[in-house]
Amino acid sequence: MADAKNQLLEEIDIENEDTQKDKYLTFHLAEEDYGIEIRYVMEIIGIQKITEVPDMPMFVKGVINLRGKVIPVMDVRLRFNMEGREYDDRTCIVVVRINDHEVGLVVDEVSEVADIPEKHVEPPPRASRAGGSDYIQGIGKINEEVKILLNVNKLLFDEEMEQMLAAAGQ
Amino acid sequence: MSANISDDQLEIIQEFVTESRDMIDQLEPTIIELSQDCSNPDIETINSIFRLFHSMKGSAGFLEFDNIAHVTHAAENLLDLVRSGDIELIPDHVQLLIATCDFSKDALDKVDEEYVDTGIKDDADTLANQLTQAIAVAKGEAPAEAATEETPTEVAVEEEVAETPAKKETAETPAVDAAPEMMISGDMVERFVQEAEELLQKAEDDLLAWEKEPENEEVIHNLFRNIHSFKGNCGFFGYSELEKLSHQLENVLDQVKSGKPINSDKPADDLLPVVDALKDGVARLAAGDAPEVPELPELVDVLLHLIEASEPPQLLGEYLVEEGVKSEAIDKALETQRKPVGELLVDMGEATPEKVEKALEKQAKTQPQPAQKPAAGAPAAKPKAPARQDIRVDLTKLDSLINLIGELVIAENMLIHNPDLRGLELENFTKAGQHMSKLVRELQEMAMTIRMIPVAGLFRRMIRLVHDISNKAGKKVDLQLVGEETEIDKTVIETISDPLVHLLRNALDHGLETPDERVAAGKPEKGVLKLSARHEEGEVWVTVEEDGRGLPREKILEKAIKNGLIEGDGSELSDREVHHLIFAPGFSTAASITDISGRGVGMDVVKRNLEKIKGKIDIRSKEGQGTRFDLRIPLTLAIIDGMMVRVGASTCIVPTLSICEAFRPEEDNITITPDGTELVKVREEFYPIVRLHEVLDKEPESREVIDGILIVLEHSDRRAALFVDEILGQQQTVIKGLSNFIGNVTGISGCTILGDGEVSLILDVGSLVEMSEGQENNENLSA
Repeated sequence: MADAKNQLLEEIDIENEDTQKDKYLTFHLAEEDYGIEIRYVMEIIGIQKITEVPDMPMFVKGVINLRGKVIPVMDVRLRFNMEGREYDDRTCIVVVRINDHEVGLVVDEVSEVADIPEKHVEPPPRASRAGGSDYIQGIGKINEEVKILLNVNKLLFDEEMEQMLAAAGQ
Repeated sequence: MSANISDDQLEIIQEFVTESRDMIDQLEPTIIELSQDCSNPDIETINSIFRLFHSMKGSAGFLEFDNIAHVTHAAENLLDLVRSGDIELIPDHVQLLIATCDFSKDALDKVDEEYVDTGIKDDADTLANQLTQAIAVAKGEAPAEAATEETPTEVAVEEEVAETPAKKETAETPAVDAAPEMMISGDMVERFVQEAEELLQKAEDDLLAWEKEPENEEVIHNLFRNIHSFKGNCGFFGYSELEKLSHQLENVLDQVKSGKPINSDKPADDLLPVVDALKDGVARLAAGDAPEVPELPELVDVLLHLIEASEPPQLLGEYLVEEGVKSEAIDKALETQRKPVGELLVDMGEATPEKVEKALEKQAKTQPQPAQKPAAGAPAAKPKAPARQDIRVDLTKLDSLINLIGELVIAENMLIHNPDLRGLELENFTKAGQHMSKLVRELQEMAMTIRMIPVAGLFRRMIRLVHDISNKAGKKVDLQLVGEETEIDKTVIETISDPLVHLLRNALDHGLETPDERVAAGKPEKGVLKLSARHEEGEVWVTVEEDGRGLPREKILEKAIKNGLIEGDGSELSDREVHHLIFAPGFSTAASITDISGRGVGMDVVKRNLEKIKGKIDIRSKEGQGTRFDLRIPLTLAIIDGMMVRVGASTCIVPTLSICEAFRPEEDNITITPDGTELVKVREEFYPIVRLHEVLDKEPESREVIDGILIVLEHSDRRAALFVDEILGQQQTVIKGLSNFIGNVTGISGCTILGDGEVSLILDVGSLVEMSEGQENNENLSA
């Protein structure tokens, strides 16, 4: 499962930065499809044993060993205050790299790498009932499908997150 | 040069910065020594400082760092006058020299970053003016002096540099007097030996080539240059016999170079034995002996004989010709890029034999003793074959090598403890595995030693600090450095640098009394501040010790009570516990806040910095007798011995060094205080129990203490018992940081990767022990 996706990524990797534009890795979370910009994605791995770290916010599941590197793992469902879900063989960890931090994102299922040109991206809704709208960078449309495009930076580093980490660290 | 800096130039510049920094670091202490007693300066000391500025000026001029060249030139002028006895050295001069050192350091930092030294012109001009003024003042009216026989060269140089600053080279030869006062480290000797061997080997090759092609000028020039560099090095290190011989050889070559005949048909045959003798001398040095040349008198006679019949030394006109020759040589040397800048520049400063003669005469008068001292001060010059070679390596490369070795240790663990092998009898595999483990262990140890550097550099930096502070605080202090050759991991050295500064400041500001107080207390006027390093108990101990007033128990208690750090009047606390109170955040005993120390942020920062590198700090103090701080630092940072423990389904690593003992507790030994704190009695002591499952928030096998194991942990003399389900065994643990993203986690210092690829947390014993005490305190407060 994850291997096939990595192959997919490799193909894209060969191409240069420019062609990464407008490309999104899409994944499935609860009932919706999400996308993150491909340039942040390092690799996709299957779910593996996560070592819990005490005093962390709920959504930081712990750390994993990525070929000798220790990286933290965040459950995106919990990050969005959705209900947690048992991990299964479709659960994937998407490893993203931003600002020199590598972080694993646990998602229900990785779908594909999709091309969403700018003109098909709508700005995010102003307000939303769930707390998650801040991390939304836009709404992408492919034919009739809708992908919620996430702002990786906000997802990992927004103030709320830092406060939570700081509070947990105390 | 400024527009486009080629790689070659970049390399030269970097070399220049590194060399100059090294030299300043070495000489700064010497200058500071001078400031303490400059009434009767040691001629060698002045010479070594002169050489510092001289060679910096030369290099800076060559590289067109005009500001640096300007200032160092002024400093050099001042020193030259002092050296020749024309003016007296006064404390103001020394202060100016110290200021020059500071300026140079700043300038070098700038050069290091930006490859230009512009933008510091104002500072440079001010300082240079001060220096020039100092010279003018000291000389009274200069022109009268300049008319004497010895000064014309200097005046010429001065004008020359003034006209085309920094382009031309100076006409002075680095002074050839021997045995500078400063310590010469083993490293330096090794470098000297290595370089000397190269130079002599080249010289020998050149001599042989010369024999074949007597007309080839280039060969002679090369030969001369190599011998000249060698001589310069010998002079710098104070190996007077080698220097003398090479100097004579240089004289002969100089004569050949300038086209005059020498009294020999086969000069190569006459000169080769000289080179051999020099080589022998270097080999002796490499073997740890004094670099003597037993055949010195005979060889010098031979050499003198070679030039005997020739004319007296050159005239001024010839000197100017040589100026021309020299710049060609520089260009050529630059093209070929073979030598370090320092060496090039020694070559460039070569052209005045008169000066050499003069210096030699002076040396003969003032400097007859042999060069025993540097040899004795170089314990690290191992009697190994002199084949060893150094290369400079980028630290990041080294770090990635060490990381890789860390990975290798993990991979080895994964392989040997592979779950697939469980229960199999694999005799050959086990053997091969053991062999590999051994190699990996050796590799790891080797890699660790690569990162180790002697603390000498760090210690020497403190000389300056102590000098400044003691002046400011009006204290008299004798700073003693012991064990400078002790090697510590480079990162550790960087980490303990700030704590050391804090400790020294405190020692000088609060610890040592003023001279009057000391005399009143019946102590010698001068306080002793000892900074030492040594290996002990698998750790490195760095000790700061002074014989001052000691820590005042009453004052500390008073303050601690005032700040709410302790309960009651503290009379039940031991002296040790009282002393440790000064590490509490926000604690300061200085009655008045001085500008040196006493803002109450020092000691807890010291402690925290040390804990970052898993170090500990210890105080011993007696009122009226002094205080001693021991910094105890683990030898390596990257890999530790760890004890793997289990709680429920998860495993953790406890650093073995912190473990005192482990045992299965008995019901009778457990006491629960009314406020709920669990204590375990071990022999006559009671330790608070820390439940690991609570720290990790896990479900243990059993919550009953008697079902599990208690591990007694020690941290800065305080103990706690850690309750775990089971001890799984010991293993080498490669420490990895938890991701920055996660930040600091209480109770966890890092993590490691186990044989099965799983990540395991490493417990932070310090915070666990504190946690246990925190519990107590909180409960005390609420009770």
